[in-house]
Amino acid sequence: MANIRIEHVYKHYGKEKHPVVKDFNLDIRDKEFIVFVGPSGCGKSTMLRMIAGLEEITEGGIYIDDQLVNHLPPKDRDISMVFQNYALYPNLSVFENIAFGLRMRKLPKYEIELAVKKASRILEIESYLSRKPRQLSGGQRQRVALGRAIVRNPKLFLMDEPLSNLDAKLRVTMRMEIIKLHQDLKTTFIYVTHDQAEAMTMADRIVVMRDGIIQQIDTPERIYSLPSNTFVAGFIGSPQINLIEGRIQANARGDLEFVTSRLRIAIHEANAELLRKHERVDRTVLLGIRPENISLEALFSDAVITGKYRFTELMGADRFIYLDIGQEQLLSARVSPSVRFEPGASVRLGIDSLKTLFFHPDTGERFAD
Amino acid sequence: MNVLLRNSIRRFTLPRLLFVVVMLLFAVFMLLPIVFIVSHAFKPYDELFVYPPEFIVRRPTTQNFIELAQITSGSIIPISRYLFNSILISAATVLLTTIISAMCGYALAKQPFPGRKILFATIVLMLMFAPEVVQIPRYLVVSGLGLMNTYPGHILPLLALPVGVFLLKQFMEQIPNALLEAARIDGATEFGLFLKIAVPVCMPAVATVAILSFQNSWSNLETSSYFMQDDYMKTFPYFLSTLTSNLANNVARQGAAAVATLIVLAPNLIFFIILQRRVIDTMVHSGIK
Ligand SMILES: Nc1ncnc2c1ncn2[C@@H]1O[C@H](COP(=O)(O)OP(=O)(O)OP(=O)(O)O)[C@@H](O)[C@H]1O
Ligand SMILES: [Mg+2]
Repeated sequence: MANIRIEHVYKHYGKEKHPVVKDFNLDIRDKEFIVFVGPSGCGKSTMLRMIAGLEEITEGGIYIDDQLVNHLPPKDRDISMVFQNYALYPNLSVFENIAFGLRMRKLPKYEIELAVKKASRILEIESYLSRKPRQLSGGQRQRVALGRAIVRNPKLFLMDEPLSNLDAKLRVTMRMEIIKLHQDLKTTFIYVTHDQAEAMTMADRIVVMRDGIIQQIDTPERIYSLPSNTFVAGFIGSPQINLIEGRIQANARGDLEFVTSRLRIAIHEANAELLRKHERVDRTVLLGIRPENISLEALFSDAVITGKYRFTELMGADRFIYLDIGQEQLLSARVSPSVRFEPGASVRLGIDSLKTLFFHPDTGERFAD
Repeated sequence: MNVLLRNSIRRFTLPRLLFVVVMLLFAVFMLLPIVFIVSHAFKPYDELFVYPPEFIVRRPTTQNFIELAQITSGSIIPISRYLFNSILISAATVLLTTIISAMCGYALAKQPFPGRKILFATIVLMLMFAPEVVQIPRYLVVSGLGLMNTYPGHILPLLALPVGVFLLKQFMEQIPNALLEAARIDGATEFGLFLKIAVPVCMPAVATVAILSFQNSWSNLETSSYFMQDDYMKTFPYFLSTLTSNLANNVARQGAAAVATLIVLAPNLIFFIILQRRVIDTMVHSGIK
């Protein structure tokens, strides 16, 4: 049960001039699953550690349930945290690892016993309670770390890349378990990752960060379909969104078109209005289109793009093909896995012009209503 | 069983075998002085003076032990008093030195405070000083503090063990910060972090420091000879050494001397063996990389 409010938080390490976290503002509702995502070194861990109380806040305020916690030590914040390297106490058994926090809080013996049993049942680690951490596999260790976090019933869970040391398959399993845990515990979660798949599958809301600055805070769906800038657009989604630089021009009939040296794509009515509003006619823009919104079928006959086939990536249910369209970057498109092309073949594709996004060529901001 | 044996034999390739043999020889070589001391204590007089000296006793006898017992029974102060002094002093020294070294090492490794670099450099520098260099200043300090003929006079000069601080600081630096942070979130106090996490995780090093400290204090003669004028305040090893000192050209008491050496050495050995098991045990159990 916790609302967290983060207001204008800055972080400088030591005498460093450049802030590691800059003007961070976020309101987290009770029971929300928030994911911080961003490339390595963008300040996700630092922000999380400030919420935990492990790192000093240079400027600004963090409130848990409307109480300013800037100077509250971690143990008084009623939080628990799961670390990337598990951070299990090597000298203690699994049982004692989980019980540690309760013992520190001087709970009666039978209550500790009960709580540890319950937590270990939820995480299915009952059978190795007497083992030492070194006798466990990575996945088991992670479960113990989760057990240690949930046993105290904190109001806030913090997790810093808890799955990044696990192999791909186990990561997916544990991802599901954490989602389930969140549903069962009905507690606020803040989860740090640089894996966009984790962010997309787990989050109620995603906070995308870059160089210590929040780029966008939104639901996974909106982050994906309406990224606020080219960075977010490029960071979320795999293969990456296609970005094509070109000019906006009006044709003889007065309709807007997106033009490059080799392409001419009609712009959908809704987007045309937007571009006019932002006065982009006769100026350059970046057009963004996701691979799945480009198709082989001539569905979108008004926005056709032609390119030379280069190579393909088969991903089981989908095949992605890469085309040379005279831009620096190859254009990726999703097609049916049964389709095959000869190298160098000329391929015609249709673009779903309703799904195109337009970004400012210099700032990278998306033109929005 | 047979398969196991065959497997282990097959694993012994020639370079490996060579390595084992060399290491074995080395180990035997390291063991020689101890073998000699033990065997020496059981030699009858004629064997003690054989030239060239022989390693292994031919006709073991307990005659030397009896001789030592006779000599000691002649002393005015009962031998139990010396033993009591020694045990008390060693126990206190080991306990305090280990605690102090561990706390100091932890602070230097994990608690940033201004000037800790220079403090650590100073401690490392102290490793360079031979004990003889500090004898006179030490005497002045002990007498200045009025610790002559007191137990603190025995204990205090031995408490500072730079090697111990150095060792523990290096070990504690290896503790992942996340471990301490996890404990902090779990509700441990700063002292709890030290006691419940840092010390158990660094148990091999802590035990090593205890061994070093014991060796340092048990066979220490310096405090008894310089700071203790009253006989009843002196230690057991000191007492034994006086019994058998100035024997260079003397035939008498050589047997007692041999036994005395063994008795002074034995606790060191036993203490080491007890703690050594602990050292290896924790090394195996701690999951630290
Ligand atoms: N103790 C520190 N002292 C100085 N700079 C630090 C410290 N810790 C982190 N930094 C710097 O702060 C920046 C953000 O670090 P942070 O650990 O928050 O990144 P991150 O987003 O968690 O990255 P990753 O995904 O690699 O974990 C980095 O540039 C890092 O070099
Ligand atoms: Mg990080």
